[in-house]
Amino acid sequence: MASSGSISISKAEKSFIQAGLISNPPSRADGRSLYDFRAISLETGFAPLANGSARLSIGRNPHDGSGGTEVLAASKLEVESVEPGGGGVDGGRIACTVTCSPAAYPHLSSSALDDLQYDITTVLHETLTHRSLHPKNLGILIGKKAWVLHLDIVVLVDSGNVYDAVFMAARAALWDTKVPRTRSVEYKAKKGVVGAGGAISSSIGKKKGAGSGEEGGGGDMDVAEEVVSGFDTRQIRNATDFELPDYWDEGEVLDGRDAWPVCVTLNVVPPTHFLDATLPEEAATSLRLLLMFAFDPSRHDSPNVQGMRTLGTGELEVSQLQELIKQGEKYARYIWTALNTKLKEESLGRLKDRTKF
Amino acid sequence: MRSKTIHDRANVNVEVSVAAFSTGDRRKRSRGDKRILEFAATIKSTFEPVIQTSLYPRSQIDIFVQVIQQDGGLLQACINGTTLALMNAGIPMVDFVCAISGGVHSTFPLLDLTQLEESDVPNLTIALLPKTRTVSLVTMETRLHVDRFEEIFRLATDAGLVLHEEMKAAILARSRSLITSVESQRKEHELPEEGGMEFN
Repeated sequence: MASSGSISISKAEKSFIQAGLISNPPSRADGRSLYDFRAISLETGFAPLANGSARLSIGRNPHDGSGGTEVLAASKLEVESVEPGGGGVDGGRIACTVTCSPAAYPHLSSSALDDLQYDITTVLHETLTHRSLHPKNLGILIGKKAWVLHLDIVVLVDSGNVYDAVFMAARAALWDTKVPRTRSVEYKAKKGVVGAGGAISSSIGKKKGAGSGEEGGGGDMDVAEEVVSGFDTRQIRNATDFELPDYWDEGEVLDGRDAWPVCVTLNVVPPTHFLDATLPEEAATSLRLLLMFAFDPSRHDSPNVQGMRTLGTGELEVSQLQELIKQGEKYARYIWTALNTKLKEESLGRLKDRTKF
Repeated sequence: MRSKTIHDRANVNVEVSVAAFSTGDRRKRSRGDKRILEFAATIKSTFEPVIQTSLYPRSQIDIFVQVIQQDGGLLQACINGTTLALMNAGIPMVDFVCAISGGVHSTFPLLDLTQLEESDVPNLTIALLPKTRTVSLVTMETRLHVDRFEEIFRLATDAGLVLHEEMKAAILARSRSLITSVESQRKEHELPEEGGMEFN
């Protein structure tokens, strides 16, 4: 999978690009320094039919919208049965799919495109579905129903650095995701008419508990008061179904949305490395190192490395790797901070839009 | 693809992909899906007579259609988008292709149906070549009373002509912006002015 997505360039061009990168001062075709990113633009909520969505582009020309890597990400929630044969998991699950538009890779055959899609999907899926990142509010009814979150990513244009773009778009879409509120419903016979076995009242539980089904107890003296302990958390088990209450917003945000990692790709051209490669630069780089970082806001000093992957045919010494991880953390923190600022801006903007009515 | 080359004209290849999140309920359609293939074949047969393929023997013109969101009128949007993309790419065509969907509710003809309307109103999509006023595509997957057909068809044809004006305006605006950018560059490099261009 060395660089199956990238274009092929001549040996002369390759060595020209490499010579530029390692010269002092380094020079790149578009005049950036080694650690500069192209301009990134991000828009969340572009797909009204999804539960969360984001459109991200790196290096798009702001005047005519041409060029640049462009990625769409959208998350969609579905209810899934947890019972055997249903395919679901208690507490919900996440499934990531990356699709590459053939327009992004016109030089690839459809089977090569499938391979490439599969490669990106694997990296993304493995990283995002790690246990430590799992959101807590994807469960609905224990042992019965749970949400499955489908995260679909479409790569519309690839002008290099597609992994960083995919991860940023994924983080933005998951940040934007709203999980619909659910209320568990249980059915039970009224106390007074148990023998008659007819009336069924539905009491709405989860927070209110099972207290409301009692008024049928009327004149029967033997009925003991039903004691509901504050510690009794089992009552939820009685719930047989759930309903979606109508509410003014689309639901609550996905739990742990701060934790989704960002990816930074270090393109290694010994003795140096550079960021945000364009397609020709990618083709001239024999080794790319993907590092996925998550910065826990509560522990400011120690970020988590959520994933690591090398792409390409080059090789790396352990000491070099340590240095690269250290550097990568610094870049990832920049990306992280910038992305968070933008996401907060976006959600504020949408709140304003909503309160206009 | 070598096996697909045609010795006297270009091969037109259409690939349609539909994003899984484009519809209300998530549905993953792969490239090999029958419905998608049929859709691509419809677009291909609409454009093959319009593109001047004989100018490019032994070559291939790829048309990639990506559906991001759908709420009815999918085919017309694909065709109109393809027309504009082909023109933007500078591929010689004999005419615009303007597509529009139409339907009928009891006796009232409707244009440009939404997804909801499409699901319970008989509807058809036509593609019109406005200069010659010929129709290169008529498709209908529902049942429609034959007396209503002419009415819708005429209305859709008129709508196609309106659409043509809009598309022409968009193409001309794009060409003008290209010309101004070329001219400003030419002034920068102080190249001698050559013959101008005229639109009519």
